[in-house]
Amino acid sequence: MEIDSEKTHERKQSDYTSLQDERFEIQKDMYRGQQYSQIYFVRLHLMRTLLYSLAPSWKPHLPVCKVLGLEEGKECIIVGTLFKHMKLKPCVLDEYSKERSVTPLVKPHNFMHPDDSLILEDESGRVKLGGSALSPPVYVTGVVVALHGKETSAGEFVVEDVLEAGLPPQLERPLDHLKEDKYVLLVSGLSIGSNSSNPLLFQLLVDHITGHVSDDEELGLAAQIVHVVIAGNSVEFPRKLLTGQNMASKDQSTLYEPIKELDIMLNQIAAGVSVDIMPGLNDPANFALPQQPLNRCLFPGSAPYNTFRSCTNPHSFDVDNIRFLGTSGQNIDDLDKYSEAESKLDFVERTLRWRHLAPTAPNTLGCYPFTDRDPFLIETCPHVYFVGNQDKYDSRLVKGSEGQLVRLICIPKFCETGVAVAVNLRNLECHTRSFNIQL
Amino acid sequence: MNRGGNSKKRPPPSTTLPPGKHRATGTPSPSPVVGTLEDEFVDEDVFVDEIDEESLILRDMEEREALSARSSTWARPPLSPAYLANSQSIIFQQLEIDYVIKEIHKELLPGSSGQAAVIRIFGVTREGHSVCCFVHGFEPYFYIACPPGMGPDDISRFHQSLEGRMRESNKNANVPKFVRHIEMVQKKSIMYYQQQKSQTFLKITVALPTMVASCRGILDRGIQIDGLGMKSFQTYESNIVFALRFMVDRDIVGGNWIEVPAGKYKKDARTLSYCQLEFHCLYSDLISHAPEGEYSKMAPFRVLSFDIECAGRKGHFPEAKHDPVIQIANLVTLQGEDQPFIRNVMTLNSCAPIVGVDVMSFETERKVLLAWKDFVRDVDPDIIIGYNICKFDLPYLIERAAALGIEEFPLLGRVKNSRVRMRDSTFSSRQQGTRESKETTIEGRFQFDLFQAIHRDHKLSSYSLNSVSAHFLSEQKEDVHHSIITDLQNGNAETRRRLAVYCLKDAYLPQRLLDKLMCIYNYVEMARVTGVPISFLLARGQSIKVLSQLLRKAKQKNMVLPNAKQSGSEQGTFEGATVLEARTGFYEKPIATLDFASLYPSIMMAYNLCYCTLVTPEDVRKLNLPPEHINKTPSGETFVKQSLQKGILPEILEELITARKRAKADLKEAKDPLEKAVLDGRQLALKISANSVYGFTGATVGQLPCLEISSSVTSYGRQMIEQTKKFVEDKFTTLGGYEYNAEVIYGDTDSVMVQFGVPDVEAAMTLGKEAAEYISGTFIKPIKLEFEKVYFPYLLINKKRYAGLVWTNPQKFDKMDTKGIETVRRDNCLLVKNLVTESLNKILIDRDVQGAAEYVKNTIADLLMNRIDLSLLVITKGLTKTGDDYEVKSAHGELAERMRKRDAATAPNVGDRVPYVIITAAKGAKGYEKSEDPIYVLENNIPIDPKYYIENQISKPLLRIFDPVLKNASSELLHGDHMRSISITTPSNSGIMRFAKKQLSCVGCKVPISTGTLCARCKGREAELYCKNVSQVSDLEELFGRLWTQCQECQGSLHQDVLCTSRDCPIFYRRMKAQKDMATAKQQLDRWSF
Repeated sequence: MEIDSEKTHERKQSDYTSLQDERFEIQKDMYRGQQYSQIYFVRLHLMRTLLYSLAPSWKPHLPVCKVLGLEEGKECIIVGTLFKHMKLKPCVLDEYSKERSVTPLVKPHNFMHPDDSLILEDESGRVKLGGSALSPPVYVTGVVVALHGKETSAGEFVVEDVLEAGLPPQLERPLDHLKEDKYVLLVSGLSIGSNSSNPLLFQLLVDHITGHVSDDEELGLAAQIVHVVIAGNSVEFPRKLLTGQNMASKDQSTLYEPIKELDIMLNQIAAGVSVDIMPGLNDPANFALPQQPLNRCLFPGSAPYNTFRSCTNPHSFDVDNIRFLGTSGQNIDDLDKYSEAESKLDFVERTLRWRHLAPTAPNTLGCYPFTDRDPFLIETCPHVYFVGNQDKYDSRLVKGSEGQLVRLICIPKFCETGVAVAVNLRNLECHTRSFNIQL
Repeated sequence: MNRGGNSKKRPPPSTTLPPGKHRATGTPSPSPVVGTLEDEFVDEDVFVDEIDEESLILRDMEEREALSARSSTWARPPLSPAYLANSQSIIFQQLEIDYVIKEIHKELLPGSSGQAAVIRIFGVTREGHSVCCFVHGFEPYFYIACPPGMGPDDISRFHQSLEGRMRESNKNANVPKFVRHIEMVQKKSIMYYQQQKSQTFLKITVALPTMVASCRGILDRGIQIDGLGMKSFQTYESNIVFALRFMVDRDIVGGNWIEVPAGKYKKDARTLSYCQLEFHCLYSDLISHAPEGEYSKMAPFRVLSFDIECAGRKGHFPEAKHDPVIQIANLVTLQGEDQPFIRNVMTLNSCAPIVGVDVMSFETERKVLLAWKDFVRDVDPDIIIGYNICKFDLPYLIERAAALGIEEFPLLGRVKNSRVRMRDSTFSSRQQGTRESKETTIEGRFQFDLFQAIHRDHKLSSYSLNSVSAHFLSEQKEDVHHSIITDLQNGNAETRRRLAVYCLKDAYLPQRLLDKLMCIYNYVEMARVTGVPISFLLARGQSIKVLSQLLRKAKQKNMVLPNAKQSGSEQGTFEGATVLEARTGFYEKPIATLDFASLYPSIMMAYNLCYCTLVTPEDVRKLNLPPEHINKTPSGETFVKQSLQKGILPEILEELITARKRAKADLKEAKDPLEKAVLDGRQLALKISANSVYGFTGATVGQLPCLEISSSVTSYGRQMIEQTKKFVEDKFTTLGGYEYNAEVIYGDTDSVMVQFGVPDVEAAMTLGKEAAEYISGTFIKPIKLEFEKVYFPYLLINKKRYAGLVWTNPQKFDKMDTKGIETVRRDNCLLVKNLVTESLNKILIDRDVQGAAEYVKNTIADLLMNRIDLSLLVITKGLTKTGDDYEVKSAHGELAERMRKRDAATAPNVGDRVPYVIITAAKGAKGYEKSEDPIYVLENNIPIDPKYYIENQISKPLLRIFDPVLKNASSELLHGDHMRSISITTPSNSGIMRFAKKQLSCVGCKVPISTGTLCARCKGREAELYCKNVSQVSDLEELFGRLWTQCQECQGSLHQDVLCTSRDCPIFYRRMKAQKDMATAKQQLDRWSF
């Protein structure tokens, strides 16, 4: 790499591969009447193989049972999918069958209730879980765990200890040959077209990335950005408006305005640096996870650039052999509705330890009914694990038992905070870059 | 197969609904059960077969070992030494009382011989021991009026001639003497006011209960008596079944506790039953405890809830002759506990284990059936419950065992050797229509069919187990179509396990319903209040309950009831309750309702109306009663006042009402939930009983009709309503110093709606209270007018149809009340209900008539644009006979035929409910040709007929509501701009489509194109059109996910496919539609290749 001179800043280069995304692509898979049981089955099957291999070193003396093989009072290990029975969980049946009540239903932010309870299920059956070792507020439906405990006379399984799969194995991080700072810039929630978004703010971000700045120091920072990821909700797309009554075609085209604006901005970025755009909840993309790439026809200006990539959500890629994995935030937002944690990063860390990006899919999070795989299983530990569209920036470094080192990042909504997150590929450190138009 | 199999065995709904507001339970108003047609119940002698049972059962002992290990856990608690030593009094709660004919007990009744009727009481002690008590010495009898001139000396001659006639007509009876004895007694007939204290009656005691009827026949027809000539007699109390006779005489009421003191009972060496405590005693030694204090509790009954599955042949509903029983699921619960202590399932062929359930697999069907038989005997349930077991499960098991030639199977009763008896029975009453059912007698075990109970006590739009549990337990149940059941059975151990889980759920739901609806408490309390055995409550109508009370009361008064033979037709009918003319309209001022509390019972009490206070027209002339001691009713009858003779009916009513007050007061005090349940059941039973007395007197073909009473009651009722109207409108006037003139806008059987004119609720309440108090003062006690609630606003459509918001306090309304408006009728599609409910909500709660109209218009526009969810359009009708048998072709009958031609396996059978939608058909197609299976419609994109729905389904109910509130409602709602745009889908299987060649068309403008997505002209709008397309997919994906995960939740398993085909479930069609739409939408989206 060249040393930057005082006058010219040359953008640093890096290797980028995104072969990881293949598993998130649905492509020609069709809805042919398949149901959700298969995805649970695959998940349980793969996770169980893993947990069985860990069991002997966890509790060497204990036998491993199926739910059916439980005997009253006998200590053992069982592996299965958790199901959380939740009193307040909204039920689609109620929407169709309940009489309208006099007081309107208040939709709570979170559906937790002290009476929530956990059930463990495998192909053979279900058993209600008890004991204090397993806390219902922490877990959600869809997580596969191994439990140590015994069945009581009431037919309840009293849990004494819990084994989660833990961090997956990690590719070695090529620390030695990275001697300089290179940054990947993460941004999410541009929300062009929403009330809170300000086109100037986004322009500032674009100028910062592309080096259209007067400050030399800032220019230096810009040159170190080797890759940009836009993690969902780039536009505010009122998709609910499109169904229902017919609209005048004039109204339809105004809906499309924000996308045009996005295309113009992306065009500028792609001209200077490689950029990945992921779909999010509010983007013109499908709803169920994994969300498929935003169609190129939406970006007539940017699509011709080979530096522009429309990606899936979740999205995984390598930059200089540093593995990134991230989502536009739906997985974590859903956990926030159906479980509790002190910070959003705790949810992020949990999904990593459960080795599953989105355990609540398909239960409460929309998901394609896969038959042969569960693409959300995390088989390889990323070095950077990011989640978009969170309320505030947060980050932590997590160390695994086998020396894994993972940077967890919550990317805030850009339109509300003006904050983008830069990750240093050299040492996985990260910091925020704030933009403010009231200068 | 069980009822889950698509409501296979539900009888068609009763077509004759009771007139007016009458309901079986719960209605606070008087219930005129006018003309209850119940087929008369007669005694049927059961002879005990005294052969040793063990010799009959030649069973491989090895086979039974598997079960014998379990029997120890199934058995009842062992007897304490005190019981074994006969040193303890036996106190038990009886559940069933019947009688058998056997040889007279030599020890208890020395000196007698031959056969006699022995009362048999089954029950349970506080410790949970089963009891079978044989009561000896009680003999059947009845009365006749002693003919004038017949003295004590004539009796023996009379006795002889009667004995002779009896011998002729009962040739094969094995009794030494038919007429045991005849004695003279002083009694009084309950009919008509009589001045003399008593007259002479003959009490005729016969040998066996059935002889009462034959003896009555002889006496009815007339008998030649030496010295007196040919005489026919009016019999008294000759229509009382033996068990009830015994209960009345011994003061035993249904479900109460009975004590037999130590030393008064004898145990025989050879027992006749499987009960732990079996003993014999004399009827005079029984102590009956009134259900109070300690004795109001419930014994720990064992309740068995079960369900069977059968593997039907394709296209046929399972028949016992051909189709095997493949699974039987059982749950046993102790009364008062919330969890079953036994859960098991018996399966034909292997079945994978199920957590918490004892799975027993057998290789042959014979073993399954025998295992169940042994199980029933070992567990020894007191009550057998299930859903539609009386009409399906039990008869099926018995017929199946007969088809397989398993002789010992029907030995399910508690009595050794007693085979289950089965017969067809019809039960009909005007209240519930005619129901055909099978009556299966399992001696000593009380059957409680939740289907029958719910059908009897609740008015629902559907009685399938799914919709009943959705209604009461707010839980959807998965429904496996019967055509799948055979496939699951023929699969492997895993698929059979799937079926077993389903079967268990069907066995569990009746138990949950039983607990939730407090059936045991309510029925036991009803039996206690009315004094009849519990089994009568389900099998018989209202009148036996009143009769039982009447008998008890008459006995105290030394009166006897004549056996009034069906003389109904001569008496004719009488004028019913009155309804004041409704001044229809939308009232935006508070309407106060003034209710008569228990109007009919109060009238009977106030005017002392009874059989024994009625003066015959002849006596009115003859007796010359002083006018201050009589009441002449508005219908022209004369009754004496209390001063001369207190009526029995008023006395019964007073007791019922006082008892209810006490029960309600106790209920407030009670802490223990079980005690509360008992008391609440009691007060409910008391209320229903009080209301059914009036109906009893009006039942023209009932036990003791007396139209003079019932017509007097209604005539007084009419008078009271008219009088109230007059008083209100005379007093509350501007002349009388009030702000406005009050106006009575409507009056029903027992309530009057008044508009006082004041604009606020609180003022209307004050005036309502004042009016109620003032008017009550003008009536004879205990008739009382009460102010209960205010309707505001109030939409009065016409007689018996109204809606309004109910206010019982001035701050906030309680709820919306609707009557007679299409919210639950089941031959309407759901869309009607939704439209009506939502419109009423908008009009009454939001006070937004325009908004309501807007909503209706939007919905109609959606309907025309084919945007309405199909499940809202499904109409359901019961298929009562096959298509050919219908004289007039019907939409659902025709559809069933067509479906049978398509696929006989899944087509509906007789007894099923057929869901259908109306589709657009060729011009001139008949109405019945336009029906189609909703699933078929979904699969083939067949367009529905919006015109039919607008004209035949929604217009009438909507116009009824909107006419009073909206000008030109009809043209506004049904002929506006919103009716202009119509979208009709092209069916994918119609004739023309077979010739059509599929060609790509531009997604934007539908112009045919050869390749790609868009035509050249639309190319510029590519992104915009894509957004539209993707947003549709996105919505569908969200819906798809939510619907299918909900079904997973319902079925209680994540790892197994959803099988449910419950058409009653609100999301069933949506789920199917989402699946199909998703596939099409995804295909469409894929055209926008990357």
